[in-house]
Amino acid sequence: MLSINIFNGLVYGALLVVMSSGLALIYGLRRVVNFAHGSLYMLGAYLGYTVASHTNFWVAQVAVPLLMGLLGLALDRFAFRPLQDRDPLTVILVTFGLLLVLEDLVQTVWGKSNLSVPAPDLLSASVDLFGMSVPAYRIAVIFFGLVVAGALTLWLRYSKMGLFVRAASTEPTITSMQGVNVDRLSGLVVAVGTALAGLAGIIAAPFLSLSPSMSSDVIIDSFVVVVTGGLGSLSGAFAAALLLGQVQAVGAVYLPEFATVLPYVLMMAVLLWRPAGFAGNRV
Amino acid sequence: MSTLLKFERVNAFYGAAHILHDMSLEIAAGERVALIGRNGVGKTTCVNTLLGVASLRGGSIAIGGSGLKKPRPYVAAGLGVAVVPQGRGIVANLSVEENLILGTAAGRKGHWTVPRIYELFPILRERAHTPGTALSGGQQQMLAIGRALMSNPALVILDEPTEGLAPVIVDQLATIFNQVADLGTALLLIEQNLSLVERVAHRYYAMAKGAVIGQGPVNAAVMHELKEHVVA
Repeated sequence: MLSINIFNGLVYGALLVVMSSGLALIYGLRRVVNFAHGSLYMLGAYLGYTVASHTNFWVAQVAVPLLMGLLGLALDRFAFRPLQDRDPLTVILVTFGLLLVLEDLVQTVWGKSNLSVPAPDLLSASVDLFGMSVPAYRIAVIFFGLVVAGALTLWLRYSKMGLFVRAASTEPTITSMQGVNVDRLSGLVVAVGTALAGLAGIIAAPFLSLSPSMSSDVIIDSFVVVVTGGLGSLSGAFAAALLLGQVQAVGAVYLPEFATVLPYVLMMAVLLWRPAGFAGNRV
Repeated sequence: MSTLLKFERVNAFYGAAHILHDMSLEIAAGERVALIGRNGVGKTTCVNTLLGVASLRGGSIAIGGSGLKKPRPYVAAGLGVAVVPQGRGIVANLSVEENLILGTAAGRKGHWTVPRIYELFPILRERAHTPGTALSGGQQQMLAIGRALMSNPALVILDEPTEGLAPVIVDQLATIFNQVADLGTALLLIEQNLSLVERVAHRYYAMAKGAVIGQGPVNAAVMHELKEHVVA
């Protein structure tokens, strides 16, 4: 009983890794608290539904992040970049407006009823894991989370562009003076972050059902993860995502009546211990 | 000699505050020029206007003969003008070596590479993997200079590089500046320390109230005069 919960916590944690890394990247470079991130995730899931029903799941898993990345470029070019010198509250309101537009768009195009995306044939069976029978797709979700975390870490740690991203996250002007076009770099990072929201959507589609309210749970958890991990920090967000997955899963067994408040308790406890989050203020 | 950097009757503003008034200066390839003046006369604003941080609303700035229509922070480095900013601007979440690599962003190839910077400043090699801001003030200044050189610039602008440093470190930096200039790199040294100016620069501009009030060759007599009237 407990071990299956720990496993499910790991699955949800992996999904939060994909979601919150995009949120952390966008905050890290643009200092934008993107309330629309959950709606971008939802849009990714619905786009995935349409693409997968015409082709298959794997095509959707490649096509959706690409489409969402293009949307991210447009989002940066026409919203975040022109607003970068405004009051942060203005930008938050704009992302909140975008959330409303996207929710309405999804309801108009796909309707209000729940939809589902079947897991790909390769992963549709259940497999035996330490004596538990678990859907193979859920193991794949953990794998997807690991791949995303690994790829982002390698990119940021070992590539020159990753170095520029880390530099620009703390010292945008100094980085720019070295010859980095920080505006263009930020646009690219917003595109990557938006693509990750879309990827999280298509990953979630086969195991969480699609509905116009699917964004609200995961966006709140993602904000808890990003704040707990340290605003803008990726490694902090990875750790916090896995921890929150466990807190949710184990909490549901032992403290079912408190399950909904546990993420906030976790956030408060971590912030009292380290006010800047696990990793402080670094990408 | 070809002109590397030219300010022609530049008028620059921070918001509504008019800081530079018809500021003109010119630096040719390989020259060692000092820009001197009291705090608040607009020396750093010259740098900030070149980078587009202060807004250029009159006159023109040209790098290597081509005018900058709308100065942007990332443009100058690519055209061969590197800035060592006041306060050094070391990036805290990058290691010493990563701060140096950041200097290659302009994509200019040439003499300077990470190993050559380590030859110039051996202490940076020893501390290559510590965070850039864990260095002492003098070492951070060396790192900022090394990072600027990594862009293989034709001109390095040094904005108050010795501010707050011990005299022994200042002597060390003076030697380094001359070594760099001997390789053919032009220097624009923004300084209030006139003894350093005398050791490094061949020509000076003196500023007051956002404009040039005097210029000429650097020598002991002139520096003595300036010490009384321009800086003190």
